[in-house]
Amino acid sequence: MPLPPASGTGRYFVKAAKSIRLIRQGCTNRPFYHISVTHRRRLNSQAVIEQLGSYDPMPNTNNEKLVALNLERIKFWLGQGAHVTNPVGELLGLAGFFPIHPRSYMTAWRNRRTERENQAKAEKSTESTTTEV
Amino acid sequence: MSLLKLVQNNTKSAFFRCNEPKIFLISSRKLSIVPSIYDGEDPAPKFFSSGIQILLKRLTRPDFAKVFRKRNNSNISVLRTPKYKFVTDEELRMEKLKADKSADRLLQMPPVVKVHKPIDDVLSIDPALIGYDSAKYLFTDISFGVDNEHRTIIERDPDGTLRSCDHAERKRLNQIYFPMQGRKIREPLIFQDEEKFHSLLDRLQYEYVLDRACVQYEPDEPTYHKLTSITYQHIDLKSMYDLLRSTRHFGPLAFYLTWHKSVDNLMLELLQSADVREAVLLLALRQALHGDLSSGEESSALVSQILPTPVQLTKKEQLSEEDIQLDTKCIECVDKYINTNSAMKSQQGLALQGFREHYQQLVELSRGLKKAHGAA
Repeated sequence: MPLPPASGTGRYFVKAAKSIRLIRQGCTNRPFYHISVTHRRRLNSQAVIEQLGSYDPMPNTNNEKLVALNLERIKFWLGQGAHVTNPVGELLGLAGFFPIHPRSYMTAWRNRRTERENQAKAEKSTESTTTEV
Repeated sequence: MSLLKLVQNNTKSAFFRCNEPKIFLISSRKLSIVPSIYDGEDPAPKFFSSGIQILLKRLTRPDFAKVFRKRNNSNISVLRTPKYKFVTDEELRMEKLKADKSADRLLQMPPVVKVHKPIDDVLSIDPALIGYDSAKYLFTDISFGVDNEHRTIIERDPDGTLRSCDHAERKRLNQIYFPMQGRKIREPLIFQDEEKFHSLLDRLQYEYVLDRACVQYEPDEPTYHKLTSITYQHIDLKSMYDLLRSTRHFGPLAFYLTWHKSVDNLMLELLQSADVREAVLLLALRQALHGDLSSGEESSALVSQILPTPVQLTKKEQLSEEDIQLDTKCIECVDKYINTNSAMKSQQGLALQGFREHYQQLVELSRGLKKAHGAA
């Protein structure tokens, strides 16, 4: 049996809960995601209803991560009461479509904290080496 | 390897030196043409005005043998053999109309517009996002039915700023998500490498360069303006206008030369090839763009008489009385221009004199022929 198309089969139950989520489409060691709408209880390996965009989490040569969003269709599915998962919510927040997701702020300040700690550690180690000498 | 190259280069230049000293003298690598771009007044309203479009199309001098020539078979797997048919006059007229229409499509000129302004549009600043990621996020709205110019493309910088992308990024992302045939995401080497670009120009591959630039760049990009300007100036220096005639690039070339008031070389070429009517059209073009000619009004008045006459591809053998009248008016108009406004007075004067003598002979011949046939 041929695989269903990645862009979606378009078949769904009207009253069943939908979810807009990232679906991994890359290969080993090379993640690539489709942003798709699907039934909430369906597995990621099953046929989706419709593809709404894509997300490439690996920065390209210009150090950019590319996200494509079909905002028109996303609006439609939100209107149908589709649930949005956290990773997609974060992307939509960064795009300015949603308010910034709280998890984005958490990641940001955690990253800042670890950077500060690393800096302090580095300073400490340089100080200790200078005092030893 | 480099030594070998050096030797090759030297032999090449030596070859030029002994065979064609002229070509060696005006090699563009020595010349270093300074590109001039349309960055002052916007040329678009004038370029798109119907009067000027008609003038430019007529100056292109479309020769269907060149317009419909076979160029490459990259899109066709098998070359189609031409069909020969017996048709009635009515059918022939229809076929000619069809050919005119498709020639119009092939000769549609690339637009001449002003260089775009950089986009600097900050949508939101959120310093709490500093440290979220070291990479930029680029978001493209791929909704159906939006064209490339109006597509929403925004970026989230590592410092938390949300802004609209600049033209370079917009072009790249549009090409990634909605590829255009023939356009490359990275700039082709012939445009990146000046050496390669100039070598193409030296080999007179103007049409190739312009076609390629037309596909690769948007008409309002500064690079497009720079490349086309260098090409046009190169053509102007070498007086190789014939290479661009019957192509869609001749109109922008004429417009460029007229806009920058360096039209004299083209005028000289027209007079030398005995196209006095086109010379008047060129004067009318300059009058329409700048309005600084003493013979301007006459030339604009002559345009309405010249346009209905068929395009003259070969030299005429016989002249009717109306042709003679029109041509004498044209000669007077051009003569006035040469005496008052031209920067190459002596050369153009000589060319016009040569044309006059040749024309006089032609007039006498055709009148004599008519007399001999007993018509006059």
